[in-house]
Amino acid sequence: MQHRRAVVITGVGVVNAALVGAAPALGAWLAQPRAAARVAVGGRPAARLPEATLAGLIDPGEARRLSRVCQLTIAAARLAVAESGLDPARGLGLVVGSELGDFTSTIAFADGYLARGASGLSALLFPNTVMNTMAATTAIAVRSRELSLTLNVPGVAGELAVARGAAAVAGGRVDAVLAGGVDEIDPLVAEMLDALGDHTVRGEGATFLVLEAEATARARGAAVLGRIEGAAWRALPARPWGVGRRVVSRAIDEARARAGGRAPGWIYASTSGDTARDAWESRVLRAALGAEPPMVSLGALLGQHGGLGALRVAAAAWTARSGLLPDDVGGPVTRVSGPGLVHGLARGGGHVALLVGAA
Amino acid sequence: MRRVVVTGLGAVSPFGAGVKAYWAGLAAGACAIRPLTLFAADGFRCRIAAEVPELAAGSPRRSRADRLALGAALEALDDAGLARADRAETAFVAGAVGGGMLEAEEWYWARARGERLPGGAAALRAILPGSHAEALGHRLGLGGPRHTVVTACSSGAVALAEAAELIADGVVDVAVAGGVDGMTRMCFMGFNALKLLDPEPCRPFDKDRRGMSIGEGAAFVVLEAAERARARGVRVYAELAGHGMTTDAFHVTAPEPEGEGMARAMRAALAAAGVSAADVGYVNAHGTATPQNDRIEARAITRVFGEGRVLVSSTKSMIGHTMAAAGGLEAVATVLTLTQELIPPTASLVTPDPEVTFDCVPRVAREAAVGCAISNSFGFGGQNVTLLFRRA
Repeated sequence: MQHRRAVVITGVGVVNAALVGAAPALGAWLAQPRAAARVAVGGRPAARLPEATLAGLIDPGEARRLSRVCQLTIAAARLAVAESGLDPARGLGLVVGSELGDFTSTIAFADGYLARGASGLSALLFPNTVMNTMAATTAIAVRSRELSLTLNVPGVAGELAVARGAAAVAGGRVDAVLAGGVDEIDPLVAEMLDALGDHTVRGEGATFLVLEAEATARARGAAVLGRIEGAAWRALPARPWGVGRRVVSRAIDEARARAGGRAPGWIYASTSGDTARDAWESRVLRAALGAEPPMVSLGALLGQHGGLGALRVAAAAWTARSGLLPDDVGGPVTRVSGPGLVHGLARGGGHVALLVGAA
Repeated sequence: MRRVVVTGLGAVSPFGAGVKAYWAGLAAGACAIRPLTLFAADGFRCRIAAEVPELAAGSPRRSRADRLALGAALEALDDAGLARADRAETAFVAGAVGGGMLEAEEWYWARARGERLPGGAAALRAILPGSHAEALGHRLGLGGPRHTVVTACSSGAVALAEAAELIADGVVDVAVAGGVDGMTRMCFMGFNALKLLDPEPCRPFDKDRRGMSIGEGAAFVVLEAAERARARGVRVYAELAGHGMTTDAFHVTAPEPEGEGMARAMRAALAAAGVSAADVGYVNAHGTATPQNDRIEARAITRVFGEGRVLVSSTKSMIGHTMAAAGGLEAVATVLTLTQELIPPTASLVTPDPEVTFDCVPRVAREAAVGCAISNSFGFGGQNVTLLFRRA
C-alpha cells in the first residue's frame, strides 16, 4: 500500500424528505430521528421531498433550466461547500453516486418521440438522459473544475462515491472533493421496481460531503467534522441482482488496515428491509468483526436512495464526535466510542467499507 | 506510485469482433459507417451509423451492450494470459452510458402500445449502465474493486484512468478496464435532436465537416503493475504513463471555447507521465467532426504542443463516435500506433480546415515511430480526459 494522506470531512449538505441542511441540521435530526413522511408514488409509498421544500432551495430562474434530480444535487452540494468554507477555485473534484440518474427526463424524452415522432424530441431534455447530468450541472454550480466522476452502482452508490472521493484526496490527486449521492423517485421507477420484485421502502434526496486533505484543511482553519480513516471497495461473488454466499470481506479488512487495524465500535449498515440481502450483510459483518457492535441503518426512516450511503458517512462523523448512535425505530440513543464502520452491501455483490472517526 | 502497463487488448468494433479486425480496418482507412439497420430511422435527417456487424460473444438473453463488452473483455483477458485464479483480486471498471437501453426501449415502446413483452423484467435489470460491471464482473469472476463510471463520451477513457489509479496506489495489481456502448434509439434520436449528426459519413477536421456519425462497440484492456507483468514474463504493449481528468464547469453540452479544460487535461497527463510536450509524437483526437469540437480541440492541442508540432488523427472517421466505447477503442488504437509504428488516418479528410494547423494524416495511414502518444476523450458536461501511452 502506498503512503496516503489523511482525509477529513469539512462540509455536509443533506436534502431529503426528512431534513434539509448542513451538519448541525443532520446532528439535530440524528439526536431525535423521525421517519420522513411517505406519499404514494407509482402506487407505492415513498419518502418524496415536497415540491415546496425544493422550490425554497433553488432560485426559480435556475430551477427552470434544471431537472428535479439536478436541483436536488445542486442544493445539497451548495450546502456542503458553504459549510466547508472552501474556495472551489483552489481545486475541487466531484464524485456523484447514483442508482437511477435522471430517469424522469429520460422517460419524458422518450415520451416526446412516442407522442409526436421526431418532431417531439427535445434537444433540451436529451443531455439529461446521460447519467452524468447531475455532475455536469453541479460542477457549473459550485465551480468544480478537477476530476468529475459519476458512479452508477445499485445499492451502494453513495458509499462508493465517498470512498472513491476519499481515495482521490488520499492519493494526492486533488486536495478537495465534493462526494455524495443522489436519486429521485418517479412513478415509472416505482413501477419498474415492482416489476423487478424490489419492495424495499424507497426515498429520494441528495447528501454531499466535502472531503479534504487534513493538512490543507487545517492550514486554512477549516472546522473538521470527521475523518475518513480507511475506505475500500470490492465485489463479493453474487449473480446480478442476487444474494451471495461468500462472507469473507476484503473491503472491511482493507479499510481497517488503512485505519491502522482499528476495530470499529459501532456500525452504520445498509439494512434495507430486503430480508435475504439483510441476512447476507449480517453474516458478512459477523465474519469480519466477530463481535456484534451496536448497529443502525436509517434506511427505514429515509427510504433507499443513492444519497443514503453518503448520509450514513456524515451521520457516522456525527456519532464519532458525539459518542451517540441513533436508533432506527425511535428508541433511545446508544453511547458508543471510537471509530465506526459505514458498511454497504448490495445485491449483485457491490461492497463498500469506510472507517469513520472523530477529528 | 507504481508504473502501469498494458498487457491485454480486446475490441469489438464496427469492423467486427477482435483487435485484429479493428486494427486492419483502421490501418486500411476503411469506413464502417453505413445505413442503420438495428431500428427504423424514418423521419430523421441522419439515417446512417457504424454498427457492429455480428455479435460473437454471450447469450442472446444478455443485452446487446453486455454482449459487446463481454466479447472485448474476454479477448483482453485471454490476450493477457490471466488465469481464473488471478482474477479474484482483479479490478473491473467499465465506462458506459446507454447500458441495456436498446432492450428497455423495446419494453417501453411496447408498454406505450399497451402491450407486455415477455422478458421485460430482464430488460429492466440491464437498463442502467451500472449493470455492465455487475454482469461482466460476475461472468468473468473479477472480485476486486468493481464499478461503472459515466462521464458521457469520455467514459471509456475515464475507466482506464480509474483502473490505473487503483494499480498505481497499490490497491490491486491487475485491472480490466474499458468502455462499451451499444446502439440505442435514445442516443440516435438525441443527437439528431441536437442537429449534431452528418447525414453522410463524418469528416473530422475537414473544412466542410457537418457533424458526427454514431457508432457502437466495446474495448477493454488489461492493465497491470509493471513489476508484476515483468515477473510473469508477459508481453507488454505499452505503458499507461499518465492521465489527466478535468472539468470545464462551463456548459452542459458545449465545450469551453478556448479549450482551457482540454488543455489542462493534456498538461496533467504530461506531468503525471513526467514527459514534455516534445516527447509526444501523436494525438488520437476526440475528433467528433462537429464544427465546434474539432476547432476547439485543435486550439487546445496547439496550446499544449505548439502549432502543427504533432501528428493528429481521428479514428472516428472510420467507426463513428462509439460514445462510451470511444475512449476504450481509441486507447487500443493509440497503443497499437506505438507497437505497429503506424498512424491510423483521418480517413474522410479531403479539405483540411485552415483553423486546424496540424497534419491530420488524411485518408491513408502513415508509418511513423513515436515514443509517446496521447488519446483525448471529451464528454457532455465538459468532462475531459487525456491518456498518455509510452512505448514499452
